[in-house]
Amino acid sequence: MALPELKEFCMPATPDEVASLLEKYGDAALFVAGGTFVHGLEARGFLPGVEALIDLRKLGLDKIEKGRKGVTVGASVKFAALEGLPDLDAPAYGALHDALSYPPAQIMNLATIGGCIAASCPFYDVPAAFLALDGVVTVQGKNSSRELSIGDVYAGLFENSLEADEYISSLFLPKQDSGTSSAYIKLETNANDLALVGVAARITMGRKNKISDARIVLGGGLNDTHKRSAAAEAVLNGQQASDTLFQQAADAIDADISPISDHRCSAEYRGAIGKVYVRRTLQQALQRLD
Amino acid sequence: MSAADIIGKSVLRPDAHDKVTGGRGYPVNVRLPGMLHGKILRSPYAHARITGIDTSEAEKLPGVKGILTHKDVPQKRFSPVFFCPTGAKSLVRDLVVLSDRVRYAGQPVAAIAATTEAIAEKALELIDVDYEELPAVFDPEEAMKDGAPQLHEDAPDNVAKNPAFEFGDVEKGFAEADHIFEGVYQTQRVHTCYMEPRVCVVDCDKQGHFTLHSSMQHIFGLREKLAYALDIAESRITVVKPPYIGGGFGGKLDIGYIEILSAILSEKIGRPVRMEQTRYEDFITTARHAIKVYLKTGVKKDGTITARAARSILDTGAHATHGAEVIVVHGLFGVTFPYKCENKKWEGFTVYTNNMIGGGYRGYGCPQGCFAVESQIDEICEELDLDPIEFRKKNSYQKGDPHPFNPAWSLNSYGYEEAMDKGAERIGWSNRKPAGSGEGTRKRGIGIGTQGIWVSGCMGFPDIYEHTGAIVKLNVDGTADLASGTVDLGSGQITMQTQVAAAELGIAPENVRLSYADTDTVPFDAPTHASRATYSSGLAVKAAAADAKRKLLEIAGDIMEASPDDLEVVDGEVRIKGSPDSAMPVGQIVQVAESPFIVDTGEGYEPSSPPQHKGTIIGTSSLAPPENPTPATALFVEVEVDTETGEVKVLRCVYAHDLGKVINPNAAEGQVEGGIQQGIGYALMENLVFDEDTGACLSSDFLDYKMPTAVEMPREIESIFIETNEPSGPFGAKSLSEQCVTVPAAAIGAAVYNAIGVRFKELPITPEKVLRALGKL
Amino acid sequence: MKQLVTLNINGEQHEIAISPDATLLTVLREDLGLLGTKRGCDTSACGSCTIHIDDKAVYACVVYAMSAQGSEITTIEGLGENGKLDPLQDAFIEAGAVQCGYCTCGMIMSAKQLLNEEPDPDEEQIRHAIAGNLCRCTGYTKIVDAIKMAADSGQKGQSS
Repeated sequence: MALPELKEFCMPATPDEVASLLEKYGDAALFVAGGTFVHGLEARGFLPGVEALIDLRKLGLDKIEKGRKGVTVGASVKFAALEGLPDLDAPAYGALHDALSYPPAQIMNLATIGGCIAASCPFYDVPAAFLALDGVVTVQGKNSSRELSIGDVYAGLFENSLEADEYISSLFLPKQDSGTSSAYIKLETNANDLALVGVAARITMGRKNKISDARIVLGGGLNDTHKRSAAAEAVLNGQQASDTLFQQAADAIDADISPISDHRCSAEYRGAIGKVYVRRTLQQALQRLD
Repeated sequence: MSAADIIGKSVLRPDAHDKVTGGRGYPVNVRLPGMLHGKILRSPYAHARITGIDTSEAEKLPGVKGILTHKDVPQKRFSPVFFCPTGAKSLVRDLVVLSDRVRYAGQPVAAIAATTEAIAEKALELIDVDYEELPAVFDPEEAMKDGAPQLHEDAPDNVAKNPAFEFGDVEKGFAEADHIFEGVYQTQRVHTCYMEPRVCVVDCDKQGHFTLHSSMQHIFGLREKLAYALDIAESRITVVKPPYIGGGFGGKLDIGYIEILSAILSEKIGRPVRMEQTRYEDFITTARHAIKVYLKTGVKKDGTITARAARSILDTGAHATHGAEVIVVHGLFGVTFPYKCENKKWEGFTVYTNNMIGGGYRGYGCPQGCFAVESQIDEICEELDLDPIEFRKKNSYQKGDPHPFNPAWSLNSYGYEEAMDKGAERIGWSNRKPAGSGEGTRKRGIGIGTQGIWVSGCMGFPDIYEHTGAIVKLNVDGTADLASGTVDLGSGQITMQTQVAAAELGIAPENVRLSYADTDTVPFDAPTHASRATYSSGLAVKAAAADAKRKLLEIAGDIMEASPDDLEVVDGEVRIKGSPDSAMPVGQIVQVAESPFIVDTGEGYEPSSPPQHKGTIIGTSSLAPPENPTPATALFVEVEVDTETGEVKVLRCVYAHDLGKVINPNAAEGQVEGGIQQGIGYALMENLVFDEDTGACLSSDFLDYKMPTAVEMPREIESIFIETNEPSGPFGAKSLSEQCVTVPAAAIGAAVYNAIGVRFKELPITPEKVLRALGKL
Repeated sequence: MKQLVTLNINGEQHEIAISPDATLLTVLREDLGLLGTKRGCDTSACGSCTIHIDDKAVYACVVYAMSAQGSEITTIEGLGENGKLDPLQDAFIEAGAVQCGYCTCGMIMSAKQLLNEEPDPDEEQIRHAIAGNLCRCTGYTKIVDAIKMAADSGQKGQSS
């Protein structure tokens, strides 16, 4: 199970130290945060040639700061620490609240915000909620930093769009409009499982029960990354909420899914559940506003 | 404290304190000085010939101390199964420890011992193997056809075993039937998921004597198999009995490649060798066999069974191993014996394929049969509008009937009907609604699954070991040491043994201590399997304790000047019956017997008059149990089906079981609750899945192989223990632990039918299958 | 090339030389002889290796030992005081929650965090707290009973 070429385990304390490590090892360096994803890759033999592990925990990225415009969460913040987020019980944050209710304690205590986004893993739950809440990450490079929406972090299955010398330093969750509610549901076979299907929905309810600013995030094996369903969102925006509308939005996701078939279940089944969950998350989100 | 204060009481487990503070006794903890670490190279191909194997680069790696390929090991064919002598007719000897012919993906092709695990792993990559791939076959019915690749020279059509049984006249029986039902039932491969991996440390000393520590369910079988495979005398091998192991469930009932390869390496190198399997390796080492059952039953319109005919195809994988015996147990107990009917016919096939080798797993062929038989009965009752419980009663055995397995025995204790009645009452069977009649998208249903004939051990199988022994030694402090070859898998053998010994001796259970044991020092014991420990080992422990007590009372009689017949042991004291004031502590009697000719009066040593009998008080036994009494089981479950997603949740279980006598109620409940976890996994989610083309295992870790966590379990599991007091059993006990795993799939299948009106004849019943069957995909 | 690391385990400092990618699980078992933390799988899914880092339950098999410097690591061997068992350990024995026992220490560590943070949990909270711990012997029923028993004894202790 070891990394046979590993020379060094590093815990840099400043971005400069990170930079010089990357200078030294280039592609043969691998960032590690909580370690759950890295170990998963290692166990399946996906990590040949790693010469240095760079643990980011000493960079001080473990703060949660609430500001006027939203909340900034450091990349090293663990899932469990998010349970202390001030608005977590509000309907708007329902999807995040729901996503955090799934992982077992050991994952809650190890998994980090930065790690779970950088993994570009559609089978995770928490990033689906972040995407539904319009999360924006700050990516730190050698000399500068930039911002990316979560959707733009994803380049493919387990592939992110970061450069080799970049790491996620924080996530910004913008303040949600009043009348906003969200929900997340995951299909799992047992309580310690990755998402076979995961759906997050966010709606903002205005006058006359009309929906604006809908987000439908599809995850699990519905695509190779978390992805918003533009088609479903188009069905919802500007319309009056109803079970019929929700079913229409659910049916619309066919345009935005390319589900996988594997030994767990078929693409057809995933697609069917995806639709059931779009309807259910919308219903749940609406109910939260009562 | 009398026997009644000990038997039937939830005595605390003696090994629990050790386990909650870390658990020292697991074989995975054994470390010996100078120990090397072994690793195994496995074939990526399902069917291939090794045309070349070059270990020269691996040998050069510093730290590598020994490498084995097929050229370096005996090519003697054997069967690894513990519970028969290797030469027994039942077994098929088709395995060699390392071969140049690969028959399944993951088959070991080489082994390395090195100073660290990391070096051993690195060295594996340096071994160069040339494979010539051969066409593979993964389906047993395909394997039986003309033109299929032949996996073993002496098994035409890839059939390793083909047992058949026939009773009465099935043609006549079917002719008499008003209705005939036919169905095909398919069960899947599942893994035992013992939590402690297979692991061993083998140490060959300079005189060529092997000492083994291994996480296995049998110490004597391990010795016998290793001796056979290496062609050496058994007396050159000592297998240490571990204080306990971390689970077995039948998945550790055969010698592994790791034990044999570690032994050969240790002898070659002169240092102990340790091998611990990875979880991936464990997943592809052993599994419950997939069996396809073609089942045909004839019934009269009143529900009387007139005939049953069946054919079972068992996929044994690359080698027969347990498949040779599972097919017989499945055919007899899983398909033929259930329900009384004169006309029965069954034929079974143990078929070679290029799949992983199957192994033992709780139920041993019965779960697969029970699923078929009970599901079909449920279908018959639906079609003919008969009550499922009345149907079963109409066709069941009665107390006093000859045992179908051996008519010389009678069913002297039989609570099958009582189990159904009590369970039915607790689940609310009379409130059961017609199938699929619930409102809403979440539909509930209730189902029943039963097993009327099973085993308490292996008596009646001519070439399966069924004898046990024990040694009880009394100590000067009034405690007793119990040495027994019975391995505790976690199912409570230690606890049962201390209770039985204590009850028989007349001392407190906490004063009975399981002592060190190995194959040199204790009488032969059959494996911990086949639900035999309480019945068989219990009888042996009781007999050894009785022997010790007899000797104790003889000496006590000398000291107390009374006839041993007038003495009894109560609460750790020997006394004259009816005269409590005469009591002498057991320890004091032992002390007089063991000491020089003096006695400790409590105020110093004084000379004693020498009793006639002097010496350590030891009781021994080595015996075969007289019979094989059957338990009886009925399980009722309530499920809820989400008809939008197909997910099935088990809400409630009521499990009723005739086990003769409960030795420890808390422990018995624990067996049931654990069995139901395994049964739910089998019914709804567990499946060892392989790539259709390459045979590679796709579900070889817990990320992909799902079994129930605490969240998936029903919140209510009620156990009803029916005590029919089996005359031949220790304190009236017979067996418990396998039936709770055998019946859940049938009960859950019936409950799902009751919920949504769809019958499943294939396991596992996954949400996708449910949704498809509801026409929603 | 081995690296030196100092680890604080059960209140004691240990300075050892380890492989840079050694996990806490292997270091505990192989370098420090603390055998209570166990390996049951290779993909952080079984929970047999559960320990505490700074009072939080984690899988020791995915924590690089190098990462754990500066943290307070607690293993099963660190529970209980002055020869007395932790109430959870007592409860596991009393309730009959231990069969083969291989999952037991991990279960206790997960339950310990729960009771530290939620002294009076309901059944669903208990089951969720051990969702990351697999057991094949018990069906979890008596494990849940034991955790409730320990919680109740803690509550009684509080009010007396």
